Amino acid sequence: MTKSVIQPLESLRLIQYATPVPCFICGTDNTIDAEFCTHCAAPMALAHQVGKRKIRPQMIAVTGAANVGKTVYLGMLIDMLSRQPDRLQLLARGAFSITLQQTTIAALSRCEFPRKTPNEPDRWNWVHCEVRRPKQRKPMELIMPDMAGDAVLQEVDHPHTYRVIRAFLKRCTAAMILIDAPELKDDNRDQDYFTLKLLSYLGELGDGTSSAIWRNRPVALVLTKADQCEECLDDPAGFAEDHAPGLWQHCKERLVRHRFFAAGVAGGCAAYDTFTEGRVRVPLRIEPCGIIEPFQWLLDQTAQQPEKR
Amino acid sequence: MSMNKQSAVRTAIGLLGLLAVGLGLWLPDGRLAAAGAVAWVYLLARRVCVAWRWRHRKSARNAAQPSPKPAPRPKARAPVDPGDTRGLVEQMLSQGRFALLLRPQVVENLDEAQFRKALEALAIDTALVPEGEVVLGRIDEALDDGKLEPEEIRRCRGRVVRVEPFFLDRYPVTNREYYEFVAGGGYQEISLWDPKIWPAVLELVDRTGAPGPRYWRDGCYAEGEEDLPVVGVNWFEAMAYARWLGKRLPSDAEWVKAGAWPVPLSAGDRQQRKYPWGNSMDRRRANLWGSGPGRIVPVTEFAEGVSVGGVYQLIGNVWEWTSSNFNPRNFSSGDYAEGELVLTSPMKSIRGGAFDTYFDNQATCQFQSGDNPLARRHNISFRCAVGAGDLVLARQPSPAASAEEVPSSLAEDLPPESELEEYADVPLDDPICEPLAAPVTHEELPSPLPEETHA
Repeated sequence: MTKSVIQPLESLRLIQYATPVPCFICGTDNTIDAEFCTHCAAPMALAHQVGKRKIRPQMIAVTGAANVGKTVYLGMLIDMLSRQPDRLQLLARGAFSITLQQTTIAALSRCEFPRKTPNEPDRWNWVHCEVRRPKQRKPMELIMPDMAGDAVLQEVDHPHTYRVIRAFLKRCTAAMILIDAPELKDDNRDQDYFTLKLLSYLGELGDGTSSAIWRNRPVALVLTKADQCEECLDDPAGFAEDHAPGLWQHCKERLVRHRFFAAGVAGGCAAYDTFTEGRVRVPLRIEPCGIIEPFQWLLDQTAQQPEKR
Repeated sequence: MSMNKQSAVRTAIGLLGLLAVGLGLWLPDGRLAAAGAVAWVYLLARRVCVAWRWRHRKSARNAAQPSPKPAPRPKARAPVDPGDTRGLVEQMLSQGRFALLLRPQVVENLDEAQFRKALEALAIDTALVPEGEVVLGRIDEALDDGKLEPEEIRRCRGRVVRVEPFFLDRYPVTNREYYEFVAGGGYQEISLWDPKIWPAVLELVDRTGAPGPRYWRDGCYAEGEEDLPVVGVNWFEAMAYARWLGKRLPSDAEWVKAGAWPVPLSAGDRQQRKYPWGNSMDRRRANLWGSGPGRIVPVTEFAEGVSVGGVYQLIGNVWEWTSSNFNPRNFSSGDYAEGELVLTSPMKSIRGGAFDTYFDNQATCQFQSGDNPLARRHNISFRCAVGAGDLVLARQPSPAASAEEVPSSLAEDLPPESELEEYADVPLDDPICEPLAAPVTHEELPSPLPEETHA
């Protein structure tokens, strides 16, 4: 008995290799089976998915200094929107998009914060998702990576160190910058300076035609860890004006569309003294607040004035 | 000019404009057509202006949310003459301070009717939790997943705590109830407060600077929030209120005992519930993240989550202060469980989860969290308890007590004197005390405090 088997010709495989696949983030050509872009280390799965869907996704940057809570914020946001779709519904595109949500929620449910995001871009978690809003018929495709704070700082201080960060920030339609509110309250000005540096960096990014592409793009400034600094929940802008006057003034002068928000995930914190990692902060309970608002505001702003590309 | 007249004028202008344009084109007369066109341009420009103004007003409204309207202040209680014992007792009963009346030092001054009333209030407002042992810590999880070594399980079992019988409030303390304390000068009565907090009592103010919970205004809660549990109170405020009532905060073990309702199966083995209603989460029974409206609800809602003993909302809606310190040994945090939990400040134990608690495993009877005793959070409230042994629940009727003194409505319900005598030396776990212990169904219960007459 004979059995028919489809065997691709070696020459056809070579043709596939000959057709380059451009990276969705930096545009560099890669081979069909590359997992990460050889130039910027962004996952090539993004390019394959976008190619299949024929919908051009928008990109939103969630960034900030190290230990400000980017991973927790992003993981929590995705989980909240996928669990309770009343205001916004979020559906992950591809298995890799669920990893961030899975690791964050698993850690938080054990009363731990997720591990620090490594600096290597090929180890970052990228989220490619579809967002549905009640009043909009067409769903929106979004790409949001969880970038390491140290890597962002390094790129800001030494441009072109991390190509993926530069390429991604250039293409973003909106940004969310996370700021550690308790640090600001304790008069630690590092947060203020880092955010200023980041905003200046964004301001210098040009797309070839205009030098100030970020002037009109929406920027949400989110004061995190609000559970430890409840006064910022009542009036985030007032808190920023009092504790980060430089940043507040910069935003007022340089950003047409910006707003301050406050968010928190833990209801209280303590710390463990460990042999291996030293003092590790742990949440005593999980009570998210102010997580969805900045994201929703950014989506509204993006929908109101679609950026010319 | 009224809105109707204005719109009539605009319609007339529109029609005349249309007529002018028509006539102008038909005759043909350029000036007439131009006049009609001008009328239409005016109407169009006006429409655009109105739309623009409306949009700006809407955004301004969104930017400045009006503050919640304060509730009509409940009528202040008329001061009672200190010599008027009856009046004082009536006032205390209406303030919910029946536990104070049932203290051995006070109870002798009550007549039979007053004593009965106080007992009745105790039976309605509180649930009796019988004595017994309760396990604190990770024992239930350990038994569930079988991950612990026998030695560790033994160690967990070492945390068995014995609890004496006590009465626990069926509901968390409401704004309306707490108002009695604030209006009654509770914040000025220094004897009620822990000496540690004396220097800070003046700082315990509301949004307007008046003494009271953090989220109140002008010493009063917002309209419609009468039956919501009081929040924005720290541990010391909760303790002072409980002392004012003649009660105290429940200990950690007491709180878990009331919710988990352990059943001893054999000498060293007992079954403890994970939730007051059983061992699996039922989101219809508790106000948690994703199962409720996303805010605090009145204490009488989510009645399906009642405990075996008849205590409501132990899980969800608001966290509850307990009298115990937060014990890091009872807290388990995955990978770091072997490390030593370091608290930046001393913490008091809170239990039960709140409307914004995200994970089901953090809203169980066993889960313990903690917060700074000075924290005045938006989701931490409390309920009070009183030891059964601290109250006089039966007494010999005084010779002075006569049938005339007993209100007719109550007299019918009173047992004969011979029956009352039987209570004298009866232990609380005796079936004769059953009426006090029996859970009262939700329909039978009145609102947590009698309705106030509003000014």
